[in-house]
This record gives sequence, C-alpha cells and structure tokens, in this order.
Amino acid sequence: MSAQALLEVHDLGKRFASRAGRDSSLWVIRDLSFSVADGEFLTIVGPSGSGKTTLLNMIAQIDVASGGEVRFQSEVAPINDPKSLNPGLSCRIGYVTQEDNLLPWRTMLQNVLFPLVVQGRLNDETRARAEMLIRTVGLAGFENHYPHELSGGMRKRASLIRTLVYDPPVILMDEPFGALDAQTRTVLQEDLLRLWNLGRKTIIFVTHDITEAIALGDRTLVLTRAPARVAGEHKIDLPRPRDIRGILTDPKFIEIYQRIREQVQ
Amino acid sequence: MTSQDTALDLAQPSQVKWRQYVVTAGRIVLAILLVAAWKIGADRAGPIYVADPFLVANRIVTDTMSGELVHHVYVTLRLSVIGFAIGCFFGVVLPFLLRRLPRLTDAIEPYIMASVGIPKYALIPLFILWFGIDDAPKLWLVGLLVFYPIFIAVFAGIRNVDRRLINMARVMGASEAMISREVIWNSLQSFFFAALKIALPRAISATIIGEFLVGNAGLGFFIEYSRQNFDTTGVFAGIVIATALVLVINSVLVRIDRRLNAWRPTDRDMEL
Ligand SMILES: Nc1ncnc2c1ncn2[C@@H]1O[C@H](COP(=O)(O)OP(=O)(O)OP(=O)(O)O)[C@@H](O)[C@H]1O
Ligand SMILES: [Mg+2]
Repeated sequence: MSAQALLEVHDLGKRFASRAGRDSSLWVIRDLSFSVADGEFLTIVGPSGSGKTTLLNMIAQIDVASGGEVRFQSEVAPINDPKSLNPGLSCRIGYVTQEDNLLPWRTMLQNVLFPLVVQGRLNDETRARAEMLIRTVGLAGFENHYPHELSGGMRKRASLIRTLVYDPPVILMDEPFGALDAQTRTVLQEDLLRLWNLGRKTIIFVTHDITEAIALGDRTLVLTRAPARVAGEHKIDLPRPRDIRGILTDPKFIEIYQRIREQVQ
Repeated sequence: MTSQDTALDLAQPSQVKWRQYVVTAGRIVLAILLVAAWKIGADRAGPIYVADPFLVANRIVTDTMSGELVHHVYVTLRLSVIGFAIGCFFGVVLPFLLRRLPRLTDAIEPYIMASVGIPKYALIPLFILWFGIDDAPKLWLVGLLVFYPIFIAVFAGIRNVDRRLINMARVMGASEAMISREVIWNSLQSFFFAALKIALPRAISATIIGEFLVGNAGLGFFIEYSRQNFDTTGVFAGIVIATALVLVINSVLVRIDRRLNAWRPTDRDMEL
C-alpha cells in the first residue's frame, strides 16, 4: 500500500437509541479503526449482525455515528450530527446497499440511468456506458422490465451497475453477490475485478463469504461479533489479475483462508 | 407438469370469459329489477313523491335537447373542477412543505387533526356571510371538502415512504426537490388515488349542496327549483344526472390510476 490513506475510520462507535424493554447501552460498533488506501480493494468479513451494514451506512453518511470520526482525503466528514450529514459526500462515495433499493415504478434501464439523470450527466457517452454495463452483467433484453418483473439476482445486478455507472471514486458494497447462484456469482466477481482493474476505484466490499473476500481483496478485515471491532487484518498478496476459479486450490489461498476462518467466530 | 400447465392455460381464458358473461348478465338483470322496483314504487307513492322512471328518462332527453340541462351540468362541473383544483393543490403542497419543517408539523398537527372534525357543511352560512352569494362561498366549501382527504392521505403517504429509497437517492446526489418529485411523489400514488376517489365525488356533492342555497344555475339549483315547483320528475332527473356525473368521473379516475400505476403487480392481476 504505497498510496496514502484515502478514507480513515477512527474509533468509530454506534449505539442505537433505546426503546422501552431493551438494553439501552448496546453498542453495535465500538472503537473501530481502519483505513483504506486510494485504489485499494478492501474486503470486510464478519458474522451476521456484527454491524457491517451499520458501518457502511455511517461511511456513506446516511446514518450518524455515536462516536469517533471518518476522514475522507484527510478532511473530517461530519457524521456525528444528523443535520450536517452529507450522504454520498457529494457523489464521491457510491453505495451498493444490501437490499437492491430500485425504484419500483421505474424500469430497469431508468433505474440504472437514475444517478446520471439526477446529477445532470446523462449524455451519449454515459448512456453508452450504461448499456455496456447492462450487457456486462447479462441484463440485456430486460431494459424495459420493472423491478418486480426481474429475479432477485437480476435486481441485485441492476443495483450494482446503477452505482458503477456514475463512477464514484469510492464504492461501498454490501454483499452485492449474496443472493446469486455460485456460477453467476463467479462471473460477476470476474466482471467486477475487470472493471476495477480498468478504473482502480477504491472499494470497500462487505461479505459473509471468506472465499469471496480473499479472491477479490487486496486486504481483508475480520470483524468481531457486536460490538464490532477489528479482529484481524490480512494482506492478500495473491498476484493480479486473479483467476477466481483457479485460486481456490492455490496453497497461499488455503493458508490465508485457514487464518481468517479461525478469527471468524 | 408441462402438459398440465398448457391445459390450465387453455382452460383459463374461456373460464374467465364465461365468468365475465355471468357478471354482465347479472348486472343487466339487477338494473331491470331496480327500474321495475322504482316504477312500482312510483305507482304506489304517487307522482308527487316518486317520479315515474320513464317520465324521468323522457325529461332528461328533452331538457338535454333544449340545452337547459347541459348548461346546469356545465355550471356544476366548472365550479367542482375549480374548487377541486384549489383544494387538491393545497392538499398536496402543504404536506410537502411540512415535510421540510418537522417542528412546525409537530406543533400544528393536533390543530389540523381537530379541524378535520368541523362539519364543513355547517360553515356554509358563515361562508355566505363572509364571501357573498356568488361562487366564492361554494368554492370555499368544495375546496375545504376536497382539501382534507387529500391532505391527510398525502401526509400519511409521505410518512410511509421507504427511507431506504430516499437515502439511496441522496447518496446518488439527488436534490431535495428531486427526491420529493421522483421518490416521494411516486411512492404515495396509491394514497393519493385513494384520496381522489373520495374527494372527486365529494366535490360534486358539495357543489350541488352549495347550489341548493345560493345561485341561479347548476344541478343543485335545478333540483331545488324543480322541488319548489312540485316538479318531482325534474328533481329525479337532476339526481340521475348528478349520479351519472360521479360515475363517469370515477371510471375516468380508475382508468388513469391503472395507466399511471401499471408498474404495480397487484393492479395487473386485478385487470384480468
Ligand atoms: N435501526 C436500528 N435500530 C436498532 N438496532 C439496529 C438498527 N439497525 C441495526 N441494528 C442492530 O445492529 C446490529 C448490526 O446490524 P447490521 O445490519 O449492521 O448487521 P450486519 O453485519 O450488516 O448483518 P448481516 O450480515 O446480517 O447483514 C444488529 O444487532 C441489529 O439488531
Ligand atoms: Mg448487513
């Protein structure tokens, strides 16, 4: 990691407001610190309910933090005050959420073009890019389908390229391939790596799947159960470009897998 | 498996068609029964109380030909439309403004909810006192009666919008105005149309009631004027026309709703 830190998370904490009948002092995330370098592909694994989505929500600034700070290009992002939140940091942080969050009254194509339209950047060039991405993820022919007419996996793919299409420098991904079959998943992982190789975006990629975390990432963070903290950090020094299918038998892969496996409870 | 599917596919359309025939036939029979009951009632009660349906039909035709009824319908429709537009405008815009001012909303919400309870028709004498006997008092009445259902529905619709969609749009750089128009407005369409189905017939009834009391034209005037002249046939003709008006407006509304909300899966199923 020769590049400087693009995004730093420092002592971040999150506690949800209590409701009657519940323990009020339950921290979901506590004293969580890590940083991401410019152009790095960081993967995060952690058990279900460990606060991964909560973490990404805070980085994307759609949710307030209860403590700590997030710095983007050394500039402190105001995430402790709900009023000063700046979701997406002025289109510099893209976020592929765990649910697809497509607009149900818009067709797949309109959904993919949505960020370009709201940013006033819809032109021949960006439209061509959208079409290219639609083809890449195998959604060609479904442009005029409404979300409820697509399968769950297709909706996830549409929501993935909806963020890729406007090319934000940092992209957060919350289990984007969770609902896919193994075959499609591998194809999309390869596509994602190829697209990433072209543009070298900074990606923070959350997943349950240790194999996926190793296959895609430059570095993998392992989170503990709530309150989430960094249980371990693993540099994935497997050469790129990677062969996602072949990598599984690589002795180095197996060794990293064993190490991470032990840390994920 | 496949053969069973095809069998079902083949069976279904004819079954649906058959069911459709039964429903249509049932409706015709019911209509005939209703007119028959009306006719018997008219004969029993006498022409002062219940007009003969055939005389009513006859009356509608002649008064339509003469242009009299057309004029009254035009006057009533014009007032209903203007009053509806005013009430609808405020009913939609106000909740969107309040969305941006949560504290003000909390402060005034109990007052708005309390004002729902005011019987609007009871205000007509006040409106006449304040606004004279032209269109103004009727417009106030129609506007208020339309405003409330729409305001309440849009207000509830805004509260009901999926936060995640709003967050998604924000992250992608959508302005608040765009979020209001694209995400919130589209999300609350079903609320809005449900309110329209209440508000539109209300606009017509409110106009007619207003016309009972002030003015010298409109369906309400026509009905009341006929009554004062012991012209029960005229009263019934006016009621039939008013009912027809509401039915036409409702069917147009249902069609618009279906067109606009074609993306919704349930609507498709219901169209079968
Ligand atoms: N709005 C909320 N109010 C209260 N508690 C919440 C809220 N959102 C999340 N939590 C709690 O925070 C914890 C972490 O949730 P989060 O969604 O971040 O988990 P996750 O790591 O993304 O899980 P998964 O892998 O299943 O998606 C959970 O215990 C959950 O109950
Ligand atoms: Mg999650």
